[in-house]
Amino acid sequence: MIRRASVVAALAAAWTAAAWFLWQTKVPSSLRLPHVDERRFFTASQLHAASSYSSVADWLWIGGVIVQLSVLVLYAWRGERFTRDSAAGPMGTGMLLGMVGFALVWLAQVPFTVLGLWWERRHHLTSVGYFDTVFGGWLGLGTEFVFLCVALAVVMGFARLVGEWWWLPAAPVFVGLALLFAFVDLWLSTTHALHDARLRAAATRFERVEGVPHTPIVVERVRRSTTLPNAEAAGMGPSRRVIVWDTLVDGRFTERELEVVVAHELGHLARHHIWKDVGWYALFAFPGAWAIARATRRRGGMSLPPAVPLALLVLVVLNYLALPLQNAISRHMEAEADWMALRTTRDPAAAIGLFRRFVPTTLEEPDPSTFDYLLRENHPTLVQRIGMAEAYATSAAQSP
Amino acid sequence: MHQPHPVRLVVEDDLRRNRWTAFFVVRFIFAIPHLIWIFLWTVAVFFAAIANWLASLVRGTPPQGLHRFMCSYLRYSLHLTSYLALAGNPYPGFLGEEGEYPIDVRFPEPSHQNRWSIFLRLFLALPALVLSSALAGSGGTRFSTSTHASRSTSFSGGGALIVACGLLGSFASLVRGRMPKGLRDAAAYAIGYSAQAGAYLLLVTDRYPNADPTAMLEGVDRPPEHPVHLVGAADDLRRSRVTVLFRLPLALVHLIWLGLWSIAIFFAVVVNWFITLFTGTPARSFHRFTCAYLRQWLHVVAFLTLTANPFPGFVGEFGHYPLDLELPQPARQNRWTTFFRLFLFVPAALVRGALSGALFWCAVLTWFYALATGSASWGLRNLAAYALRYDAQTNAYLLLVSEAYPHASPLEGAPEPQHEFAEAAAA
Repeated sequence: MIRRASVVAALAAAWTAAAWFLWQTKVPSSLRLPHVDERRFFTASQLHAASSYSSVADWLWIGGVIVQLSVLVLYAWRGERFTRDSAAGPMGTGMLLGMVGFALVWLAQVPFTVLGLWWERRHHLTSVGYFDTVFGGWLGLGTEFVFLCVALAVVMGFARLVGEWWWLPAAPVFVGLALLFAFVDLWLSTTHALHDARLRAAATRFERVEGVPHTPIVVERVRRSTTLPNAEAAGMGPSRRVIVWDTLVDGRFTERELEVVVAHELGHLARHHIWKDVGWYALFAFPGAWAIARATRRRGGMSLPPAVPLALLVLVVLNYLALPLQNAISRHMEAEADWMALRTTRDPAAAIGLFRRFVPTTLEEPDPSTFDYLLRENHPTLVQRIGMAEAYATSAAQSP
Repeated sequence: MHQPHPVRLVVEDDLRRNRWTAFFVVRFIFAIPHLIWIFLWTVAVFFAAIANWLASLVRGTPPQGLHRFMCSYLRYSLHLTSYLALAGNPYPGFLGEEGEYPIDVRFPEPSHQNRWSIFLRLFLALPALVLSSALAGSGGTRFSTSTHASRSTSFSGGGALIVACGLLGSFASLVRGRMPKGLRDAAAYAIGYSAQAGAYLLLVTDRYPNADPTAMLEGVDRPPEHPVHLVGAADDLRRSRVTVLFRLPLALVHLIWLGLWSIAIFFAVVVNWFITLFTGTPARSFHRFTCAYLRQWLHVVAFLTLTANPFPGFVGEFGHYPLDLELPQPARQNRWTTFFRLFLFVPAALVRGALSGALFWCAVLTWFYALATGSASWGLRNLAAYALRYDAQTNAYLLLVSEAYPHASPLEGAPEPQHEFAEAAAA
């Protein structure tokens, strides 16, 4: 008993130490964000539009989650009956059960997907058609199914080899797969070189300042499906890139604002956020896999197909339970990237301009409710981001 | 278990063909008067069909005179198609009289039909016409997309099976003076299904066409058993609606796996080809590997096309799937046929391509049917099984598993030789 307790304590200590290491940030601990009154930066109509859009989007999200969990509970209870539709042996049957579970969840969420699309179309945030969304989603399930089958093959394969300790070898495999996907991620989208010479020159300057030289800046074509502006940092080592959506460089944002975006994304790369993402994933993968192994013991463990529907339910529930923490981690890294952008561009006015422009272009609430903040926001709120820019401006003005 | 279809195909053909008229170009030229005649007849039938439809809607039964007219037209077009596709030898008459041609059809007397079914007949007939089009070219399946004046793509599945059978049968008949039984049976089946679809559309009967090849060719001698044939548990036709709805995404993982396996098979078969060429017999290990691949292929395609219900395994094991493949042990093979295997494969590939079209439509139609009813249609399932059997035989031939040439007959092989073959052997 004491030995087990000491092992658990040692593992917890190691987990905490790793988490502390990953939590390190360049944002000064002494930085205090000033109170920002959203009405100072946004008009009443902008705030009203964002609030009205978000309230419905929130309810759709909640509805989707409730339906998803309900379907998975039912499936965990009755899903075993689909074993009679398989002639594939235990592992193949497990894969079938996993895929059917995902398929049922997708099917149950179709009304919410369609309603969400209607809401986005109504607000001119997307131009994707209903048929494309439903039929494309149906076909897109195939890719998800393939990944799910690989995951189940790993889990069930180890469970057949080492019994209920499968989570110990399986978690590193999943971390390895996460690393692989992080490495190849950018090749999964179609991009082209950035044509804006001035922005390219600024990017080259920022790369030098942030210590990530020769990082290609590419543009992804998304305009046919959405009007939302976005950018992301992707890849690691030789595959690292900054990907800018073409909706960001369509003239709605000024050159200085775009520079802030590029500096922000380079900040992610400079601070190794993709590596840290994988690190955090590893920290959650071990206890998550262990929890699934424990929960499915009553169904004979993960080597048997009947455990798969229950494992899906546990996995999704764990994901939702971890969501506030995951969002907090993501917001922490985004805040650091914002800080890097401010330090690099030394242009807080442009940053504030950029954040102000996000409200009319994305209908994002500048200061969302606590519920939204905890469960749905993986970036600092716009008010917080403006606050950081103001704090930077103040500290820059005070420094000699 | 199944009531015989009232539109019954009669095959009394002895497979002999006149070499002078066997070449398809010659046949076509001879058939020109018939083609003009059938065009005129079709125009008349168009108006007669409208009159027949209105009269049947009012009376609930098609008028005797119009019924006879429709039957003659359908029988005539069946005779003519049989002649063009070399399913029959003699030059057909122009009146579509019963019993005058070795490939013939018997129609029922006019009887009372449900008025709703009469009213909606054109829509109800669409699935049968699509399948008929894929088999024998009536109904005209044609899909076109044109997004720009200069860009246009189209797909037509019209009559691929009958064209393939006619073309190959023409060359075979020129050489041997006999139509291969497999090709004749396949053509007769396609023509018979087309006649049933036509009869349904033109209100000759209210029974829906039955795609089951065994029922269609009842009374026709079965071919000898091919070393590559389907076996397995009787299919209960039950289909899980959920797995039917998501059949394509569910099969994706198997398709990727098959794709990877195919790469390995390519190299294995090349090596095995050399081994067979030098030693006269395929290597046992490569043979086993290829057999597992062929079974896996069958299981996956059967699952994907809804010919079978369960999700298949990943190793092509024998005896674990309701639709399975019996394959021969490695045996001596003729070195000449081994050397020229790829070229010899081409005719079989033509028929396989044609059957793939039919299989595709079977899968599409079964998908809707199974979603609605939770089961597969017996006829479509058996047609799909026929296509899969031929597919397996061509694969086995190409991949050196068997030296036996694929047999195109829709009928399953009989363990004992039957009448036609005994007669042919005696001749």
